[in-house]
Amino acid sequence: MMPVSALTDHRPLLGHHPVGASTGFLVEDRGDWPRLAARAAALSPFTAELAALSETELPGLASYLAHDASLPFRYVSVHAPSKDLRMSESKLVDTLARLPTIVDAIVVHPDVIDDVTEYRKLGARLVLENMDSRKGGGRTADELVPYFAALPAAGLCLDVAHARDVDPTLAGAHDLLDRYAVRLRHLHVSSLDADGHHVPLTDADEAAFGPVLRRCRDVPWILEAPLAP
Amino acid sequence: MSAAPSALERLAAHGADGFPHLLAARARTDVELDRLRTRFAAVERDPDVAVVLFGSWGRRELTEHSDDDWLLLVDGPGRGEALRPDVEAVRALLGAGARKPGTQGAFGTVSASRDLVEHIGLEEDDNRNLTQRMLLMLESVAVVGADVHRACWEQVLDRYLAEGRSDHRPPRFFLNDVMRYWRTIAVDFAGKHRDDERKWGIRNAKLRTSRKMLFAGGLVPILRCHALRGADVRPFLAAQLALPATDRVADAFLSADQLDAGVRCLGAYDRWIGILGDVAMREELAGLDRASAPESATFVEVRRLAAEFQNGLLALLFETSLAPAVREYAIF
Repeated sequence: MMPVSALTDHRPLLGHHPVGASTGFLVEDRGDWPRLAARAAALSPFTAELAALSETELPGLASYLAHDASLPFRYVSVHAPSKDLRMSESKLVDTLARLPTIVDAIVVHPDVIDDVTEYRKLGARLVLENMDSRKGGGRTADELVPYFAALPAAGLCLDVAHARDVDPTLAGAHDLLDRYAVRLRHLHVSSLDADGHHVPLTDADEAAFGPVLRRCRDVPWILEAPLAP
Repeated sequence: MSAAPSALERLAAHGADGFPHLLAARARTDVELDRLRTRFAAVERDPDVAVVLFGSWGRRELTEHSDDDWLLLVDGPGRGEALRPDVEAVRALLGAGARKPGTQGAFGTVSASRDLVEHIGLEEDDNRNLTQRMLLMLESVAVVGADVHRACWEQVLDRYLAEGRSDHRPPRFFLNDVMRYWRTIAVDFAGKHRDDERKWGIRNAKLRTSRKMLFAGGLVPILRCHALRGADVRPFLAAQLALPATDRVADAFLSADQLDAGVRCLGAYDRWIGILGDVAMREELAGLDRASAPESATFVEVRRLAAEFQNGLLALLFETSLAPAVREYAIF
């Protein structure tokens, strides 16, 4: 791999544009979408992921995007709910499909998908995220095959920490990039703690992730935890 | 013996899906060029005249509905006497019906190489002259008169390089003219649609894709000259600019070892060429104005593909060893 510079090859985050924030880690402002968007924009006005991780957060986000949002971002991702799922799958997908066109990507966890055909309504905005080792599927390139076969327009969000959790050698992450290169839309970047929670990216993980990150210089990188102090 | 694979083919080998639409368009361009050359073989031609095609012909991205943007190119100053072939003879073979040349009178006419070479900048370098010169350099192919076409092309290249060819310095005169042309295209798009929304959708889609490929196909090789000794600049640019723009961009990704980004960038462009070749989708785009475009699934998909295409180019320019040259030369 040809080096770009000694500095940015050692610290890939320094050399990449755009690196944006997920609002998922801004827990103290949860539900206050104008405030969450403003805090995300403070990290990057070019990209952000608005995370409605619990289904209870989705109506507020949908209303904000439909009526109030004046967002600076050029690439907007919405993380679909993966917790507290109560409404029917059809109604959930319909709600996601009605999100305005300023939303470029809608991230869905494969393990919450019951009827895969419902998600065709999301078209090319649907982005599937690879799962961590605690989940029962959607973790590897092989396990994602049936989802992408049923959802040919769907993209991939590569969660680098999840991929490392499944395969500490990161060969699984490279396999995902080899198999689904043209589907890649953005990355989730963080470290994981012992319980699988997203925590600030450590220097050691940033160095370890380097070869994977260098293969993804053309897509937004979304931080799922604050930058380390 | 089969020809060596092109840069586009070598990059395609790194992706699971290849670039089927682009490679099919290249094959179509080759077949149609052969057909045209056969038809022109029966037409009398003066030794200083070439019939040159531009746009998708020059990019080797011909689809069923591409325009025939042609020019009768005369080596040297313009001549008062009749040319062989003349405009009417070319019109009989090119640009019929919907394939009529576009671009506001820059094509479907005669141009002298002396104007293209000597009128670079200042008042005589009007929009038509600039367009003809830039497309000659960046996306043109001779139907007949390949020697005349090549001679004119080399005269313009040498005029650009006459301003200086230092070691490790991109040729600024050429760089500035390429950048000026891209900005002109973008400004003229807004000018065209200030009062007339017709064809806004297809023109906007092309600005995001085909026109950007034209620009990148000039910008990237020129910036790559920062890695060269002065004596190597001309042979490098002559070799690069003889290739289709997609090969120049693919070669830069291969050279920077940015294979994944290159596969996504050219992959998105490949799907755009697929859309352009689809009659229903092309007609849908042509019927869109600024207000209706966001409601069109086809336009939204083109916009997404165009963003992927641009993100790849930006990664090439700003996150590879090209980045210092971009910072140093591409803004001021």
